[in-house]
Amino acid sequence: MPTERLLPRLFAGLLLIMLAAAGWQWHRGAPLSADLMTLVPGATQDPLVKQAEQRMQEPLNRELLVLVGHSQREQAVALAQHLAGQWQASGLFEKVQWSLQTDLQTLRSQLLQGRVAMLSTHDRQLLAEQPDTFVEQRLQSLFDPFAGFSLVASQDDWLGLTGRIQQSQPKPVNVQLDTASGALVAEADGQQWVLLRARTQGNAFDMHLPLQVADLLARARDDASQQGARLLAASGLLHAAAGQQQASREITWVGGGATVGILLLLLLAFRRWRVLLAFVPVLVGMLFGSVVCVALFGQMHVMTLVLGSSLIGVAVDYPLHYLSKSWSLHPWRSWPAVRLTLPGLSLSLATSCIGYLALAFTPFPALTQIAAFSAAGLVGAYLSAVCLLPALLGGVELRPARWPLRVAQWLTELRAGLLRRVPSAALLALLVLFCAAGLWRLDSRNDVRQWVGSPPHLLEEAQAVARITGYQPTSQFYLVRGADPQQLLERLAALSEKLDELVDLGKLKGYMSLDRLVASSAEQARTLQALDRLPGHWQPLLAQGVPETALLAELKQLHQLPIQSIDDVLAGPLGEAWRPLWLGQVDQGVAAIVSLQGLNDTALLRLQSEGLPGVQLVDRLGELNQLFAATQVSAAELKLLSCALILVLLVLPFGLRGALRIVALPLLAALCSLALLGWLGQPLTLFSLFGLLLVTAIGVDYAILMHERVGGEAVSLLGTLLAALTTWLSFGLLALSSTPAVSNFGLAVSLGLAMSFILAPWAASREGAHS
Amino acid sequence: MSAALRTGIAGLFAGKPAPTGTAKPVGAGLPAKVPALLALLLLFISPLAMAFTLDDLQKQLSEPAVVSGPFIQEKHLRALPQPLTSKGRFVLARDHGLLWLLQSPLRQDYRIDAQGIARRDLSGWQTLPARSAGAEQNRLFFAVLQGDSSGLQRDFELALSGDAAHWQLRLTPRSLLLKQVFTRIDITGGRYVERIELSETQGDSTVLRMPESRGASALSDAERSDFAD
Repeated sequence: MPTERLLPRLFAGLLLIMLAAAGWQWHRGAPLSADLMTLVPGATQDPLVKQAEQRMQEPLNRELLVLVGHSQREQAVALAQHLAGQWQASGLFEKVQWSLQTDLQTLRSQLLQGRVAMLSTHDRQLLAEQPDTFVEQRLQSLFDPFAGFSLVASQDDWLGLTGRIQQSQPKPVNVQLDTASGALVAEADGQQWVLLRARTQGNAFDMHLPLQVADLLARARDDASQQGARLLAASGLLHAAAGQQQASREITWVGGGATVGILLLLLLAFRRWRVLLAFVPVLVGMLFGSVVCVALFGQMHVMTLVLGSSLIGVAVDYPLHYLSKSWSLHPWRSWPAVRLTLPGLSLSLATSCIGYLALAFTPFPALTQIAAFSAAGLVGAYLSAVCLLPALLGGVELRPARWPLRVAQWLTELRAGLLRRVPSAALLALLVLFCAAGLWRLDSRNDVRQWVGSPPHLLEEAQAVARITGYQPTSQFYLVRGADPQQLLERLAALSEKLDELVDLGKLKGYMSLDRLVASSAEQARTLQALDRLPGHWQPLLAQGVPETALLAELKQLHQLPIQSIDDVLAGPLGEAWRPLWLGQVDQGVAAIVSLQGLNDTALLRLQSEGLPGVQLVDRLGELNQLFAATQVSAAELKLLSCALILVLLVLPFGLRGALRIVALPLLAALCSLALLGWLGQPLTLFSLFGLLLVTAIGVDYAILMHERVGGEAVSLLGTLLAALTTWLSFGLLALSSTPAVSNFGLAVSLGLAMSFILAPWAASREGAHS
Repeated sequence: MSAALRTGIAGLFAGKPAPTGTAKPVGAGLPAKVPALLALLLLFISPLAMAFTLDDLQKQLSEPAVVSGPFIQEKHLRALPQPLTSKGRFVLARDHGLLWLLQSPLRQDYRIDAQGIARRDLSGWQTLPARSAGAEQNRLFFAVLQGDSSGLQRDFELALSGDAAHWQLRLTPRSLLLKQVFTRIDITGGRYVERIELSETQGDSTVLRMPESRGASALSDAERSDFAD
């Protein structure tokens, strides 16, 4: 038969092409990604918002903050210094900083240069409205032994402007400078905590870096504990590392567990070593899936791999379809068995693909990837099962074990016995009651945190770091736009005024906005005018011996200071912390970020900024959670749509009645699995819903098998049982994942598949049942 | 003093290193003002001491429960022919803290104690927010007060000469940071501290004289009430 020789060769050619493609894709390292943000929907199309988000995210993904704690400050400092040296030498970090060795000279010159531009709002007001108080305070500070030593000598700044600027800079909350070492130290829980900050060369989404950093940290922890010290660390990198470790652990379990289980099942059922070749379609499926996925998306997310590893159980169904015919076909030969089951196989491929591709139309890149991976994988598995595997099994005559068939027969009789006592209609009514009660108990829950299975110890440490340092960044921020720097600074000032109200109420811990660092050019001009009025008020200074000529010379000098732009101020050492806030020139003007700290009410923020022109609150987390909820509806619509498609597909071979029957069963199974979630007290999440999309597609397969009943009811049930067992094995293992999203998905699918199997026998038409 | 130094410098350090996060108030790191130096010196000296040892000095200075007397502070600024002079009274109580009562050219009372640095206005003592950065610093400060000179020794090289009746102690900053603020601090005295001179790298200096200090075993009632509220 020419086709039977041609097909394997054609397929071998295709396989070679895919292998070459894979080789090319992987030759420069694994095209894998662990970036969570690529998985969640891009909530914004606005490039500026995107840029701002990246700016805010960047330190999370590149910085490692470590607190080195010891009861003795010297010990803690020495250890931090030692660690910093070690880490710097590791080559992983661009910069490791444990001490501040500030160059005071550049600082002095920035203060002098910025005397007009950097004066705070409060001080500008005081100068303009109460010049007498302004002078009086200056006089006091000259004699106040506790006002301390200004960085700038008095004769360079008789009016004390630099001192005021120093005082108005944001203060560290709990961190103080250890003057001896330059280290930054916080005290808490009876320990001295020295701050160590490291910035990596790459970011958290580099596949190797997070693990290397986590490793380095683990070794440092060991060292520290030997010296009676403790390390606390916070970084997006550590979450990435934990995520990667978890993903590879789970891929091993799910993939390995499913593989071992399936191979064992094949051996037990068919009692031939060569039957293990039935695993070839699985491998081919994985290959096709990854090649197509990388080709479409440029890379594959580790979560796709985790979820994709469940494909093993689905892909092995194709060979099982015709292998299981060995119970009815005597003698069993590969090619005839394939010919006999080809229509069913093709239908099964089509329905599964419809189910997976329905996932692709959800707004979640993660699911689009999984859909593409799975659909391509199924096509690969199907092709190899149809074209290659029969050739590989050419000489094999299967004489399978009898016990599986006995089990199937027993099950069939059990069902028949049950049906004799209770009619189907009554069973259906019971089932509907069961479902109704289960659905009643079901509650739905959606949170972006379900995507991340962060280990609690990492979260606890991050909270401890936030508590000890008093630094609590929030993911929300404001994006403010203006036509020019003048307008931008005015808008920022209007926002700051609103935010100050929240700070006073204790609803917000703090914020950083560029208008607190630099005044607009109009404000700078007003400050100069106010300074010009000072000679009428500075008598008290003269009385203490400050020469009037010096004061007049200073006024003249202030007038000669160039107007400072945002860029000018940011360039100096005092601008360092503020630089990430400045987005600079953008399409229609300029823009800046306002960062927030210690927030506990997003709704208040929204309220406060309402009606302020050019001000936009960016709350990605909140938007995502809303999107999750909104997507539930579209997931349900997609489910109905995919069912309609499958129905259309099935009308041709089975007629409308048959098709309806076949589609109704998996729908009912999905409903049952929803109810089961309710009974089990498990929440309904978006992921459970997505899982149920799949249940329909795969469950249809079982219904078709049972509807056709090639080789009798028991044999068909056995085929279905084997297919269900393998699939159930791989999805069931997913349910054990520690990422809530993955485990919800796995649980929903396994429950749905179990119900699909139980309901599948009803797919047989009544006439068939009597014949 | 080292505590005070810390308070001041840390307070000045405008930012802190930002933890992993987005906006950080880091940045500025730099000492802005070194505060409270003089007063702190007083405090600190009590516990400090060297052969005639630092220990001896420390013991000698911490012996009286209360030391009080007038002070004269002169700020020598390069640009001024005459120093800016202020006068007042101080009370250093081993177990309470320091009262610094400036009398001329303006009247202003200061107090340093466990609560931090406070300034008195019409409605009573106001703890200064800028320096109330943390109770930690004050705790540290009192550790220094009670004779823990380790903090001071980390910040400064200490050189003591002379004998119990006439001694000189020179503090030279060790850290790069402090070196950019002071060249040195010289302290001289006998039974009590008599003179402190602080030389700044910018060329200015401050001289604090306490010519007529007296020891006492307890606070007066008025002083006690100043510390109390």
